[in-house]
Amino acid sequence: MQIERDTRGAELAPNQYEDAEGYIAPLPAGSGPRSNPLGAFPTGPEVGERLPDVVAVDSDGVTLDLHEDREGKPVVLVFTRSAVW
Amino acid sequence: MSDFEAAGAKLYVLSYDEVDALADYKKAHRASFTMLSDSDSEVIRSFGILNTTIAEDDHPWYGIPYPGVYVTNSEGIVTQKFFENNFTVRPGAEQLVAAVKGEEFTLAERPVTGEQVNVEIEFDGADLPIGITRQIVARFSVPEGMHLYQEPVPEGLVAASIELDGDVEGILPYTMIAPDTRPLTLGTDGHTLEVYEGNVILRLPIAQNGRAITKDDDGRWVTISGKVRWQACDSEACLLPEEESFNFRVPAAFTVMADMGPGEGRVPSMNGATHFKKMTDRRKTES
Repeated sequence: MQIERDTRGAELAPNQYEDAEGYIAPLPAGSGPRSNPLGAFPTGPEVGERLPDVVAVDSDGVTLDLHEDREGKPVVLVFTRSAVW
Repeated sequence: MSDFEAAGAKLYVLSYDEVDALADYKKAHRASFTMLSDSDSEVIRSFGILNTTIAEDDHPWYGIPYPGVYVTNSEGIVTQKFFENNFTVRPGAEQLVAAVKGEEFTLAERPVTGEQVNVEIEFDGADLPIGITRQIVARFSVPEGMHLYQEPVPEGLVAASIELDGDVEGILPYTMIAPDTRPLTLGTDGHTLEVYEGNVILRLPIAQNGRAITKDDDGRWVTISGKVRWQACDSEACLLPEEESFNFRVPAAFTVMADMGPGEGRVPSMNGATHFKKMTDRRKTES
C-alpha cells in the first residue's frame, strides 16, 4: 500500500506552519515529524484479534514480554513517536 | 495513571527511543507506566504500523510508527483501538479508561415502550488541551422494543449523532466511538439499517488547535457547543426526531510538550536535545 503524505497547509509566519486542521508547528505539514498520512493508512491488528506479541526492552534495560508482564490484566498499549521530541 | 490502575489495566508506552532516553523521561516526569524501547522498530514493523511516508535516510524521523493506542481485555484480545490521521492529536486518558472499563450507566428509570428516549450529555474531562482529545458523551436510554439509527440513514430518518456547531472555530471532531449495532431490515422497502438498542453511549472525541481560546481575568477558556440528534423507532413506527443542544466552557489547558527547550506552557525537565542528537548520530553511523 502506497501511503500518501498530507501536505495541505499554509505558512503563517517564519517557522509557523499550519496544517489542514489548523494546528501550528515549526515545520511544514508533510515534513519530518509531521508526516501525516492522507486517507487510509495501516493501523495494525483489528478489534477482535489477539494483540500480537510484544517483546521489547524497558527503561531499566530489561527485556520484557508484554503478554507475560500484564499478568492476565487488560492492557492499554500506546505507540508514540518519541519520548524525546 | 492511577485511573488505569483503578480500572485494573496496565499501561505500556512504546517508542523508537533508546533505553537511556526512556529512563530520563521516566525520572523527569515521575512516570509510573512501563516504557518500552523499540530502537530498531522491530515491534513497530511487526504490527505493520511503521510510518512509510518517511524515507529511510531521513535519519531523525525514520522508524516511528503511525501513532495510536490499542486497548485489550484480560484475555489480550483487542477491544478498541484509536488511530487518527493527524498525529498532533492523541486520545485523552478519559476515553482510554472508558475503553478499559467498558461503558455502563443507569439512568433513573428505563422509559417504557412508546415513551421518549432519555438522554444525558456530558463533557468528559476537566479541560481541553491543544491536540489531546476529551469527549462529548451522549448517553441514551432507549425504551424496550425501540432503537436508534446509526449513520447512514435514508432521507426521512434521523441517525443518532453528536455534531459541533459549524461556526465554532478551532474545535475539531475526531472518530466517533459507538457501541455495536444490530442490522434491521425495514419491512416497507427492504432497506437494511444498523440500529442501536438499550443503553446507547456515543462518545465524540474533540480537540482544539489553539484558535478557539479566549482569555479573561480568570484564565484561558474554550467553548464547545453543538447538538445531539436522534430519532427513536420500533418495528412499526417512529417518534418525532429530537435534538438537544449542549454548551460547555472549559479551561484551555497547556499541553506538556517535548523537552527540547523552554517555551510557553512547556515543562522542560529532561534534556531532550542530547538524546535527540545521540539517536540521530547512531542512525547515521549505521547506514
